[in-house]
Amino acid sequence: MDYYTSGRRTCAGCGPAIGYRLLSKAAGPNTVFLGPTSCMYVANGHQYLTSPYAVPWYHTQLGGGGAAGTGTAAAFRALMSKGKRKVEDINTVVYGGDGGFADIGFAGLSMGMGQDYKRLLFVLNDNESYANTGIQASSTTSWGATTTFTPSGRANQIGNLRLKKNVALTIAAHPGVKYVATSSLYPPLDFMNKVRRALDSGGPSFIELLAPCPKGWFFDPKDTINLAKLALETRAWASWEYVEGTFNLSYRPKKITPIREYLRIQGRFSHLTDGEIEEIQRMTDDEWKYWDEMDKQKRIVLPWIAAPNVVRGVGFEPTNP
Amino acid sequence: MNAQTAVPGTTTIQKKRIWTGTRSVAEAIKIADVDVIAAYPIRPYTGIMNDLAKMIADGEFQAEIVIADSEHSQFEIVKHASAVGARTFAGSSGVGLAYATEAIAVTALGQLPVVAVAGCRALDDPGNFGMEWNDVFLFRDLGWLVSWAKDPQEALDMTLAAYRVAEDHRVLLPHFIALDGAALTHISTPVQTPVKEDVAEFLPPYKPPYVLDPAFGPISKGQHIAPSLIGPEQRKLIDVSMKNSREVIRGAWKDYQRLVGREYSPFIESTLMEDAEIALVSMGAYTKDAIYAAKKSRERGLKVGVIRLRYWRPFPADELRRGLKGIRGVGVLDFSYSMGSPDFVGAFFNDIRSALYQSNARPPLIDFILAGGREPTVQHFEKAIGLVQEAARTGNADKIVHWLTLRGEDV
Repeated sequence: MDYYTSGRRTCAGCGPAIGYRLLSKAAGPNTVFLGPTSCMYVANGHQYLTSPYAVPWYHTQLGGGGAAGTGTAAAFRALMSKGKRKVEDINTVVYGGDGGFADIGFAGLSMGMGQDYKRLLFVLNDNESYANTGIQASSTTSWGATTTFTPSGRANQIGNLRLKKNVALTIAAHPGVKYVATSSLYPPLDFMNKVRRALDSGGPSFIELLAPCPKGWFFDPKDTINLAKLALETRAWASWEYVEGTFNLSYRPKKITPIREYLRIQGRFSHLTDGEIEEIQRMTDDEWKYWDEMDKQKRIVLPWIAAPNVVRGVGFEPTNP
Repeated sequence: MNAQTAVPGTTTIQKKRIWTGTRSVAEAIKIADVDVIAAYPIRPYTGIMNDLAKMIADGEFQAEIVIADSEHSQFEIVKHASAVGARTFAGSSGVGLAYATEAIAVTALGQLPVVAVAGCRALDDPGNFGMEWNDVFLFRDLGWLVSWAKDPQEALDMTLAAYRVAEDHRVLLPHFIALDGAALTHISTPVQTPVKEDVAEFLPPYKPPYVLDPAFGPISKGQHIAPSLIGPEQRKLIDVSMKNSREVIRGAWKDYQRLVGREYSPFIESTLMEDAEIALVSMGAYTKDAIYAAKKSRERGLKVGVIRLRYWRPFPADELRRGLKGIRGVGVLDFSYSMGSPDFVGAFFNDIRSALYQSNARPPLIDFILAGGREPTVQHFEKAIGLVQEAARTGNADKIVHWLTLRGEDV
């Protein structure tokens, strides 16, 4: 059964929308969805008041995802424990973007992960930008990507100079956390199984889903799943699970594909020089050593990756007159 | 919704306690059997949460108390808990309220009957524990009901009444109870508590018209819309709810009066007004001092009365106009500012002047601004009475704003 259906106006090939559909299938009918402002708010609403949700859904403010999930779960537990509502398993699922969870709502997400509510799941659909406002950089935007806030220009040719924040690792740092995972839209069962395990984990849980965005990443809509697969095969994205303190990689490519294959079909990286792509390859390789080590040790080792040494252009560095 | 209380005389009255304003509100939250509480500390409202946390830890009553990471989260938590059908409570003060503004705004527009305390405090910077109203006034336009208590007893009463009014299906709006910082939150006076069983009829469990619960059905709430489609109609819903609340408030206090055997005039409290020629108008805890000053002035032959607004939203315009009928001079004790407003008056004064513009009789009005948190004394209020008396004698106030507690030249 689908609980995320027609009645929306998301773009062709929208990664977050595909993620929503998989999520709703896995979570099932006894679910309340909460949506912090994002594409998954604006594009899922419609000016004619149609709604794609076949389960209860309520908007929450951009920075309100952690609190909305917490308040909803708190209400269910209070009403059930005080005999005001029938006792049953209700899933509270917050589907937020990277702006909502990695930036403005980061503290609230952390607060929610520190509570002890069961069947409370936060899913970050990471399309690496503020997409509904016109593709502005967030703290999960990849190094070297152009966005409308980090354009490539004459003085700064690179575009985004911040390294992508690893949100899932920060959530894994919460003491006693039951379940943290990352996932990709490919293979679809990976994400759906993780949703089920997260909801059954016995505490608040978190999944970061890499969700390619045709509009923001500048690729042909037919390539969404292709990119989700390439992200894993080029090791641009590590899919893993952290269950009560035990780490496991979920996907280990048999043959390593060069990062160039992932970057070249995305317009947001089209301005990068061969040297800059080499730097991304170097960072990817450096980071993978950590994921590999974590998979061997079955526990988290904090990755540290050196940022590329780039000349930022005239006028960017402080100089004495 | 009208509760029929027991036969007069059969109400169980507990002995009086000596409680602060914050302790009184905590008691009301317990009596109201609130389900979800969201806490975050900031003076001077924090004591309520301290007391509630202890009550819950001691098993005195059962509720989810969520320790939030910020005021923004605090108000989002109760908003969403309310949407599921829980009875909720939050609160804050000063810049904490400012930080939560976004969540506070959407709670009203979502028509969720959250009840919260605003412990009035001066806004930063510099940090200032003094009492000002501008933190609460941030929310005067958004669809929150706001009542203003004068003492710990009324703080308790108003909290119970707030749930009753907010949850009425003709209203369904969130409700602030404003407590003047320090002067009410931290001052102890005798408080009489109704027992939970007696309150049950006055305040039955919250029955929302619809809830965010799979058992109810797949509703989508707060969908993004095209403004041309239903934008104005959605705003009008809040306007109508606010208008409806006046009747609901009257009914609630009528019933509450029967329950506790104390008399309450729902919207304005008039003291010494029967034969008054001039009046002071204010809200909150300092009204008691104003009444004391009025009594002292009466010993000198000045016929002064005092009107206290018990509700700020909905603003009791009709009641105020009636209350001031025949009055020849009005002084407004105003713990707010509104920088750059018409004639540079305070925000409180502006609403009062606005209400009296629709009146045939327009007595001279003087704004006594008590901004910055410095405590006014009875002498300040006596000075105000003298200035109003002079304006009433001449029929005109030549200076309409006085910063009463300011040291130095009041330019």
